[in-house]
Amino acid sequence: MSDGDTAHAVKVTINGETHERTVLARTLLVHFIRDVLVLKGTHIGCDTGNCGACTVIYNGRTIKSCMMLAAQADGAEIQTVEGLDENGELGPIQRAFHEHHGLQCGYCTPGLLMSATALLKENPSPSEAEIRRGIRGNVCRCTGYVNVVKSIEAAAEEVSK
Amino acid sequence: MLLESVEYTRPATVEEALAALASNEGAAPLAGGQSLINVLKNRVASVAVLVDITRLSELRNVDARSDGSLEIGACVTYDELDRSADVRRGHAILADVAGRIEDQQIRNRGTIGGNCCLSDPTNNLPPLLIALGATMNIQGGAGAREVPAEDFFHGYFSTAVEQGELLRSITLPALEPDAAAGYNSLTIAGDSKAIVRASAYVRVNGTIEEARVVLSVVGPRPIRHAGMEERLRGQPATDETVARASEAVGEGDDLSPPTDAHASADYRRRMARVVARRAVNEAMAKGGSGGE
Repeated sequence: MSDGDTAHAVKVTINGETHERTVLARTLLVHFIRDVLVLKGTHIGCDTGNCGACTVIYNGRTIKSCMMLAAQADGAEIQTVEGLDENGELGPIQRAFHEHHGLQCGYCTPGLLMSATALLKENPSPSEAEIRRGIRGNVCRCTGYVNVVKSIEAAAEEVSK
Repeated sequence: MLLESVEYTRPATVEEALAALASNEGAAPLAGGQSLINVLKNRVASVAVLVDITRLSELRNVDARSDGSLEIGACVTYDELDRSADVRRGHAILADVAGRIEDQQIRNRGTIGGNCCLSDPTNNLPPLLIALGATMNIQGGAGAREVPAEDFFHGYFSTAVEQGELLRSITLPALEPDAAAGYNSLTIAGDSKAIVRASAYVRVNGTIEEARVVLSVVGPRPIRHAGMEERLRGQPATDETVARASEAVGEGDDLSPPTDAHASADYRRRMARVVARRAVNEAMAKGGSGGE
C-alpha cells in the first residue's frame, strides 16, 4: 500500500485542442477524458481491456484508454470520437455506419469508429479479413459484426473516392 | 474502476529507473500495462510506486547485429515486432507470433519484456523465446547479468528478475541456415488465450541434428520436453519420426497442466502431444530457410 497518490501535470492535445491539468497517479486515461475533460463519447464497457469501447487513437495508434494512466499520456496527441465530424456533420466513416446500419444500441460504436479510422488510414482498401482483424479488439453484442464490416467497406470506398 | 492510491514516476534513464525500483520494496516497473493495470484494478497485487519505463529510449530499440543476432529492448511493443524489418529478416516467426497476440490495441501497447516478466503460463512469447535460444539481459543497481530464457521463467508470475532489477533486453542468436522454428497453439478462439502451446526449434542436415521442444500451459512454467527431443535427435527428418517422438509427451513425463474452465488437465496433456507434433513439423517444413 502507498501512503497516497502523487499528482502529475499532464498536457495533452485532444482533437486538436490542448489541455493542461493536474491528475492523481491512479487516474486512468479514460476517466481523464470522460470526467475531467468531459468528452463523454469515449465509453467504458468492460473496464478490463477486453471490449474496446474505450478505444482512442493515441499518437496515431489505437489503444484502450482504460488500460493506461492519464499521467502516462503527458505530451500525447489523442483523437476521440468527438474529433471525427467534419464541420459539424458526420464524417465519412460515421456516415457509412449510419447508412449501413453498423450499430444498434451504439455503445461500442465510438470504439469501433476509432479502430476503423486507424485501419483505413493505414490501409485505405482493406479486405474483409483485414477489416475483421482490424476490429478484433472491439466487442459488439448487437450487430454480429456483419453490418459493421459492410459499413467499413462502404467507408473505404467513400474515403478513397 | 478506480485504482488504489499509488505513486507514479517516469525516470529519464535506466539508472534512474533502477534507483526508483530499489528505493521502495513496493515499486514495480510499468511497461505496456496491458496486464499490470488489470492486476491493479483487481487488487490482486498492491503496488506502492509505478516506475514508468515506456519512454526509456535504451529499452525501445531493435538492434540487428552483423552476425545475424538481434537485441530487442524490453519495451518494444508486439506491433513494433510485427512491423520490424530487422525482426522479419532473420526471425520472422517472432514477428508472426507477436502480430497475432490478441488485438491491435493491445499490440500497440503490450511489450515483449512485459509478456516475459509477467510470466503468465498462457503468454505467447516465453515458449518461443526458449525455443529460439534467447538470452535475457537483466540489469540491476550492482550490474548486468545474462540468464538463458530457459532458466528465466520460475513459475506462475515469477521470473529471474529480482526486486530492484529490470529486464533490459532480449538477445536472439542468429538462426543457422539449416535451422528453423515452429509454433503451434490450441486457443479458446482465434488469437485468444491458449489452452496449450508448443514451440520447436530444429536443425536438419539429412537427419535431425538438434531439436528443442518447448511446451507451455502444462505447468507453472514453460518447459523443454527432454523425452521428445531425445527421440528426435539423430533421426530422419520425417513426419513418422515426429509422430513417434511426440508419443513421449504426456506419458510418464512430469507435465502438471492445470484444470480450469477452459480445459481439464487430462485434455491439456493429450493436446500437448498434438501441438508439439505440429510445432516440430512446422519447423521441419521450414528447415533450411532460417526464420522465414
